[in-house]
Amino acid sequence: MKVIKITAIWCSACLIMNKVWNKILEKMDIETISLDVDLDEDLVSKYEINDVLPVFIFIKNDKEIMRLVGEHSEEELLKIIKEVGD
Amino acid sequence: MIYLDYSATTPVNDSVLDTFVNVTKNFIGNPNSLHKLGVEAKQLIDASTNQISELLNISPKEIIYTSGASEANNTAIKGICYRYKNRGKHIITTKLEHSSVIATLQYLQADGYDIDFVKTDIYGRVDLDDLKSLIRDDTILVTIASVNSEVGVIQPIEEIGKLLKNYPKIYFHSDMTQSIGKININIENVDLISFSAQKIYGLKGIGCLIKKEKIVLDALIHGGKSTTIYRSGTPAVGLIASLAKSLRLALENLNQKYDYVSSLNKYLRDKISKNNNIHINSNKYSIPHILNISILGIKPETILHALEEKNIFISTQTACASKSDSSIAVYEVTKNEEYSKYSIRISLSHLTKKEDLDTFYDVLDNTIKELNKLNESH
Repeated sequence: MKVIKITAIWCSACLIMNKVWNKILEKMDIETISLDVDLDEDLVSKYEINDVLPVFIFIKNDKEIMRLVGEHSEEELLKIIKEVGD
Repeated sequence: MIYLDYSATTPVNDSVLDTFVNVTKNFIGNPNSLHKLGVEAKQLIDASTNQISELLNISPKEIIYTSGASEANNTAIKGICYRYKNRGKHIITTKLEHSSVIATLQYLQADGYDIDFVKTDIYGRVDLDDLKSLIRDDTILVTIASVNSEVGVIQPIEEIGKLLKNYPKIYFHSDMTQSIGKININIENVDLISFSAQKIYGLKGIGCLIKKEKIVLDALIHGGKSTTIYRSGTPAVGLIASLAKSLRLALENLNQKYDYVSSLNKYLRDKISKNNNIHINSNKYSIPHILNISILGIKPETILHALEEKNIFISTQTACASKSDSSIAVYEVTKNEEYSKYSIRISLSHLTKKEDLDTFYDVLDNTIKELNKLNESH
């Protein structure tokens, strides 16, 4: 499984979720591709995100299986990762 | 035209513009040059710096000129964090900060700095107990804006400053862009303060970072000594003189102007509070200059453009965060997603006329009725 993480530098929810995501990466190995909505505009456009950030897109076998937007707790995220990973 | 977006920027005061034009025309020397023209320009900068320091009751040595508040915020935050990184990499802030603070912190986060957000109470004010509980041995900076730009909530800066005085290794920075020249504020226990001229009827392109004398920063822009080693570049004499003038004028009759804006705020609030379609997000701790409201079910941009057609100008979110469709600040204060999604900001000034608010309200009320009618027919 890999995760596309889409954030913006001016977004406080992204700052919070970067910290949460880094804690998760300390516990498990998940390939993460980080994109910035302003700097990686072309790459981000193909994921058709709406205006709420950050966006975590979970990809398995080259298919999107889920996306999460906004702020979530570490526990919540761990639970979701376990569910989609199974 | 009815301009109700004074918190985004203010129109330049005529005499401030005159100062800029006269100084730019008549003081052509580089203040760093040793000849007469340079000396004259340098003397004018020194006089402006002295004037600013007297107005704010600080030392002239504590003034760093920048291009605006965003640069001042960057200079303060990165300057402290880089200088004192060996002491620690922990920073505390709020979710009510301007994007230039959040973006700077996220930039530092990628460089290994750890950022915590302090809790706020039901009014969006910093919870001092939570702030105290977040402080660690490696905390080097607390950065909290004195007034939030969207909802206008005033933070207890004096109390925060007093609390942080117990931690001499922690520096306290406050973005005061929305408060200086609008409200009386005690800056005694604040180590670093940012503000800009364009919010106080001055020119765009000039701002200021006040840095208490004992503090050393790592500079962002390196070069010659200029007016300070903390920000190199040929000093903009005209802009600096105009900043001093705009600050002097902003602080003149401050209480009288505050009372007038308060009466305008109350007048508009009274009208709006009778309208069931509108919810007021600003609260008793908001400055009177900002009235944030939500009109549920109608996109803020639709309202903004409908008013624009009638030559009335308000704003949705702060211009620097316009890509996200809901206001983090409104959510932080109201804890309501709908209010944060549909919020608009009306910002007032001592230049605002009561009759302008009557026109604004009537147009807004009609616009809501028309848009609701359209929604129902669909």
